[in-house]
Amino acid sequence: MTDRGAMRGFSDGRRTGAAGARATPFVDRNFKYLMIFPAVAVILFIGLFPVIHTLMISVQNLTMLDEDTSFHGLVHYGRLLSDGRFWEAIGHTLIFVVVALPTELVLGLALAYLFLDRLPGKQVFVALLVLPVVVSPVIAGATWRLLFDQRYGPINQVIGWFAGEDVTILWTVDPAFVYPAILIAEIWQWTPFMFLLLLAALSNVDQSQLEAAEIDGASFWRTFFKVVLPAIWPVMAIAVLIRALDLFRLFDVVWALTRGGPGTLTETFSIYAYVQGFQQFETSYTAAMSLVVIILLAITVTLVLRRMEIDR
Amino acid sequence: MKRRQVRMAVRFVVAALVTVLFLFPIYWLAIISFKTPDEIFAYPPVWWPEQIQFANYAVLFKDGDAVTVWNSLVIASISTVFAMVIGTMCAYSIARFRTGGNLFSDWLLSNRMIPPIVIVFPVFLLFVELGLVDSFVGLILLYTAFNLPYVVWMMRGYIQDIPLELEESALVDGCTRWQVFVRVVWPMARGGLFATAVFTFVFAWNEFIFALVLTRSEVTTFPVQVTHYFGGQSNFWAKIAAMSVLGTVPIFIAVTLLQRFLVRGISLGAVKG
Amino acid sequence: MAQLSIQGLRKSYGRVEALKGIDLEVDAGEFCVFVGPSGCGKSTLLRSIAGLEEIDAGTIRIGDRVVNDLRPRDRNIAMVFQNYALYPFLTVFENIAFGLRARHRPDAEVRRKVHAAAELLGISDLLQRKPRQLSGGQRQRVAIGRAIVREADVFLFDEPLSNLDAQLRDGMRMEIKRLHQEIGKTMVYVTHDQIEAMTLADRIVLLNQGQIEQQGAPLDLFERPVSRFVAAFLGSPQMNFLPATVAGDAAGPAVRVEPGVVLPLVGARAPLPPAGTAVVLGTRPEHIGRAAGTPRPGQHPVDVAIDLVQPTGSRLYATFTLAGIPVTAELAAHDVQSPGERLTMWFDMTRAIVIEPESGRVIA
Repeated sequence: MTDRGAMRGFSDGRRTGAAGARATPFVDRNFKYLMIFPAVAVILFIGLFPVIHTLMISVQNLTMLDEDTSFHGLVHYGRLLSDGRFWEAIGHTLIFVVVALPTELVLGLALAYLFLDRLPGKQVFVALLVLPVVVSPVIAGATWRLLFDQRYGPINQVIGWFAGEDVTILWTVDPAFVYPAILIAEIWQWTPFMFLLLLAALSNVDQSQLEAAEIDGASFWRTFFKVVLPAIWPVMAIAVLIRALDLFRLFDVVWALTRGGPGTLTETFSIYAYVQGFQQFETSYTAAMSLVVIILLAITVTLVLRRMEIDR
Repeated sequence: MKRRQVRMAVRFVVAALVTVLFLFPIYWLAIISFKTPDEIFAYPPVWWPEQIQFANYAVLFKDGDAVTVWNSLVIASISTVFAMVIGTMCAYSIARFRTGGNLFSDWLLSNRMIPPIVIVFPVFLLFVELGLVDSFVGLILLYTAFNLPYVVWMMRGYIQDIPLELEESALVDGCTRWQVFVRVVWPMARGGLFATAVFTFVFAWNEFIFALVLTRSEVTTFPVQVTHYFGGQSNFWAKIAAMSVLGTVPIFIAVTLLQRFLVRGISLGAVKG
Repeated sequence: MAQLSIQGLRKSYGRVEALKGIDLEVDAGEFCVFVGPSGCGKSTLLRSIAGLEEIDAGTIRIGDRVVNDLRPRDRNIAMVFQNYALYPFLTVFENIAFGLRARHRPDAEVRRKVHAAAELLGISDLLQRKPRQLSGGQRQRVAIGRAIVREADVFLFDEPLSNLDAQLRDGMRMEIKRLHQEIGKTMVYVTHDQIEAMTLADRIVLLNQGQIEQQGAPLDLFERPVSRFVAAFLGSPQMNFLPATVAGDAAGPAVRVEPGVVLPLVGARAPLPPAGTAVVLGTRPEHIGRAAGTPRPGQHPVDVAIDLVQPTGSRLYATFTLAGIPVTAELAAHDVQSPGERLTMWFDMTRAIVIEPESGRVIA
């Protein structure tokens, strides 16, 4: 209707030159910059400034014993390449991503379908089901620690009922069970997250399209892949991205359950970096490690975002 | 009964079972906090305590450990207020003036994607030099910064939903830009402010790595306090459970009250609630 | 003295030129309507006056002040928006008081002015409600009330009635006109509706593609359009445009629309181009009538066969083919019974216009 449909927003009030400078006060003229200033200042202080600081440290040689601030070149970066424990930690992290993410997605989707149609008490169920999501991850880890206890925990007890004899699985110690233990805790906490988002997405799928598919006699799976999936894709992509990034920084649950053990078997990247920086005090080495991961992650995320063309 | 009703009954039963399954860990945590040591270390486990008793909580208050919940409350509240005010200002500038273009908002959001562990080390070094380790100021500043990208992203979406005419009308009626922001945008975005604030608060409340690295004894937050009980001796179980419940109940209440904002909040605005 | 004066106003969005040099004077107390099709620049022009759009070139004066570089708040204008722009979180009272509060006026003055405005608009009993509890018409009144309390130099209206249903729109139109008569302020009003423009305006400014096509009193534009565009935009049903050739004869100037149909042009006119030149003849439906009794001077008979009949109740639109195109005549309700009828029409050639086809200018 109006002549400016495409131009929502304000012009910035700076174009009118010298006369304007007198007529419009400073605050209004520079309003948009003044408004972003505090946020940018805080983020630069916490985000950019430390990164530069880290960059400097990473080419020095600071350890717990050594306050050597002379230039050491890229030794720490070189060391990273040959550090088997670092690459193993990355590998462990990827295992968690690759197993937990699809499981959460599929379970979340199944749950979303379960709750999609009319159901008595739906609101109450949903409200209860989302509670795990807002539990502090480290508390979630602690809770599962109690549940997994080999003697006083209910899980071995229940397994014992089915097995017909007492079982004493050492969930947080036995190499065969530490991964399942962490994954169960992780999946318990975050499946409801997927569920909630996918339920919202499924509820928004155009009903007339579903009806059209039904009239055409399309099977459930055909309808799912041809109609439902494209419709929920934007939400699903966001959910997967958020979870992938979260899983990549996995720390709290592992810390609470196994501290990366037994040995270094469940050591994720985050835990390894913590150990190097705050227990071994390999200051410069940890700095180099942090920078490499920031860069790798920035590249990956940028590529993924471009790929998915997530709407700004 | 008709087939439809059977189907719904089956779905109801499955839904109930799933819900019980997902809530069981929380239930277990809660009842441990009410058990006596004998019940906690009974074999086979006690599924329902004989009587509810609060001794485990009393200990936390007597020892002063409960103050960590207060610390968390102070840090989470203040950092949330800061992040909301600063972030909403920034979001308004981006939403209405496209300040800095796409590059600027991409850069802002990308800050959210950096894993805490890679930023915590540089920040730790910085805080050591500034004397901010183990201080309220340090964590508040850090949580404010860490939440800012999220606040900007969310509030930009909410602000874009406000009809521009409301602001133009206010400009014509005699408001300065700042008055427009305070008198029109802020009240119009009230719903979004609540929704975003809840998640900002939850993040700061639940956060662990920063708190673990940057606190010592003065300002320990409750998640860190819980891990202090881990030490191996299982006689701390009661404390773990009671402390966890103490720190989790407020969040459950907040989230349940603001249920309708939940989806938009956790989906980074991808699903409009 | 001109209350609002615009010279050489230009405005582009990127490569799109929205306003291509606007010159305009609006007198104090005048009701000026900007009208034109979508995208003609009328809203941009209004918003430039309000200070909501940056301008690229030109001068805008309100009273004796150049306001180019003033913020909207410093221009002493009031504006009513298409979607009313009421604040849902404020009561009607506070909505109307908003501008006064922003200027920190004393409470007593705010109350007095809000009540006076509410009285004038008949919304005194709604002051404690929230906007969502109001009907469309009531919201519109509140929006106008908010403008009135400001006691601004110039009132701007941006398509204020386009969100109302047809009946309400007629009523509000009347009220706005009455309001103008009562408070006597300079008003600038944007609409795409030619009826609103004709009924409200002291002066119509008809815009087309970022330029003023013609401006003047409503009847001036209606009766003496400068171009085919103006002639077509005003009037409903639209003016008929028939391809024709100049056919001057001894009796005076005339145009031929069809072999054998030569219409003499009557009245004082500019000289026509040489005989044989292609032109367009414009004639309004209400200037074609069914032949009855003795023709008045200038009425010229043409025999036609009716193709289509559209009764409206009070009138009747009959369509027939002439010069190969459908031509509509506005007749009395019972002038034609059914399609297919053959009858004689009188064309009132005193009111017909002649248009030069390439430029679209009215030449006679």
